[in-house]
Amino acid sequence: MTDYAGLLKALTEGGVEFILIGGMAAAFHGSIRSTADVDVVYRRTPENMQRLAGSLSRIHPSLRGAPPGLPFRFDVRTIQQGLNFTLSTDLGPVDLLGEVVGGGTYEALLPHTSIGNVVGVECRCVELDTLIHLKRAAGRPKDLEALAELEALREERQGR
Amino acid sequence: MTESDTTSERSSMDDVIDIYKRDVDRTLLREHLKMTVEQRFERFLALMKFLEELRAAGKSARTHQ
Repeated sequence: MTDYAGLLKALTEGGVEFILIGGMAAAFHGSIRSTADVDVVYRRTPENMQRLAGSLSRIHPSLRGAPPGLPFRFDVRTIQQGLNFTLSTDLGPVDLLGEVVGGGTYEALLPHTSIGNVVGVECRCVELDTLIHLKRAAGRPKDLEALAELEALREERQGR
Repeated sequence: MTESDTTSERSSMDDVIDIYKRDVDRTLLREHLKMTVEQRFERFLALMKFLEELRAAGKSARTHQ
């Protein structure tokens, strides 16, 4: 089972600047759906990429779905040359996004976030309206049911 | 960046979402919204643990068939 708190702690204790999106953010806002991975948008500054590489090196990241034994080194150079990474780690799957469809970079999303306690870890989480916007922009059929729940949550919060 | 930036007109996506929305159990959502974030995540982790145990039980049952 994914160690959600462990993954978030690895990032926060390493000083990584990131924003939680996806299913965990949905759970933060009241969703009752399950999710197996942790999705984050990370800041693409040289310092933050260094912290990201350092933090994840302790939990042995590998490319999710890649053939076993495929050489992969998650270091600053790899992060600089790539953008979005879907990784497996000792603590479970994590998706690291340098940019997200509909939301852009960490800096663009930052004004649409708040800090909250997620599975016991203080971290920055995308706001409900923006989460809905991101899922709509992604336009994936698998998100439509989740979108219905998120929009219902927003209506409930607004007393509709 | 708001939802209205990209969704000023209704699309076929809205129609599908509206159909799914009919089946959202709002009583569960209301119960969830009464909880603190910490309580919600306690429930989330319990659910994920339960699902993991259920998967393991199913796998075990299949291997013993």
